[in-house]
Amino acid sequence: MGTLNPATSDRPLSIQVERMEGVALVTLGGACTMEVSRQIWHSLVGLVTEQVPAVIVDMTDLDFVDSVGLGGLVAAHLKMRHHHGTVALVSPQPPIMNVLEITRLTQLFPIFPTVRAALENVRPNEPPQPTAQRPRASG
Amino acid sequence: MSDERTSPDIYDPATDPPLTDLVVCSDLVAAKQPEEVIISQIEQFGYSEDAVFGIKLALEEAMTNAVRHGNRHDASKRIRVRYAVSPRRVIIFVADEGAGFCPEEVPDPTAPENIERPNGRGIMLINAYMTRVSYNAAGNEVRMMKANERWAP
Repeated sequence: MGTLNPATSDRPLSIQVERMEGVALVTLGGACTMEVSRQIWHSLVGLVTEQVPAVIVDMTDLDFVDSVGLGGLVAAHLKMRHHHGTVALVSPQPPIMNVLEITRLTQLFPIFPTVRAALENVRPNEPPQPTAQRPRASG
Repeated sequence: MSDERTSPDIYDPATDPPLTDLVVCSDLVAAKQPEEVIISQIEQFGYSEDAVFGIKLALEEAMTNAVRHGNRHDASKRIRVRYAVSPRRVIIFVADEGAGFCPEEVPDPTAPENIERPNGRGIMLINAYMTRVSYNAAGNEVRMMKANERWAP
């Protein structure tokens, strides 16, 4: 699913969902800006209603995220907890990592350097083992 | 929308450029227009990528708050953006037509009891990324300033 950010120079937000080894892999790209950030919310929470055991959100290609986009991650986390599932993040760029650190959402989500590392650590109905990926904080 | 005086550590008419006034409809697509104008000017003045990211995020959070919480998605209401960009600093005021709020009463979203709340991070992100932030007395205009760390007089 992709949507053009209207009247802006931002890269369009893209949200791709696929199933991989029993979990849902959500690949985000472009800019999650205010006029489109609800899409992340709907996509993630929609996945959770399908009772997937884990959602891995690959942020490698994500340039920007606002508080509504972050809220979508948190909303998904809350729903996943009902069935002991996990939302894990992969490779946020330094500016996004900085936002996660400022909001202390690094305490809520395990963060992995690669999708492979996330897959190896996030198993259905098992708590994740976060790795120590810490891109340079900027700001 | 108040025009009361602003602390000079956020805007000083004696040293800062005149404020440019923009008024947009209260929806999130129209709210992008001031951002495009302001960010393009900032990029011309050599601000760091981190600074541009922070100003963009703070402005988006302010506009989102104005549309959602201030004007409550009422399409008949407007958002007024006043801004001044110079090599030294960026000043942005965002006013809505709502009743205003008291920023001190907004719960800290990083507190352990709030960390799992999906909403409520916009104000703290504005405070984190801008150098100075204040509000008018009514609480319906946020006034933000970002100093250019690369600026040397």
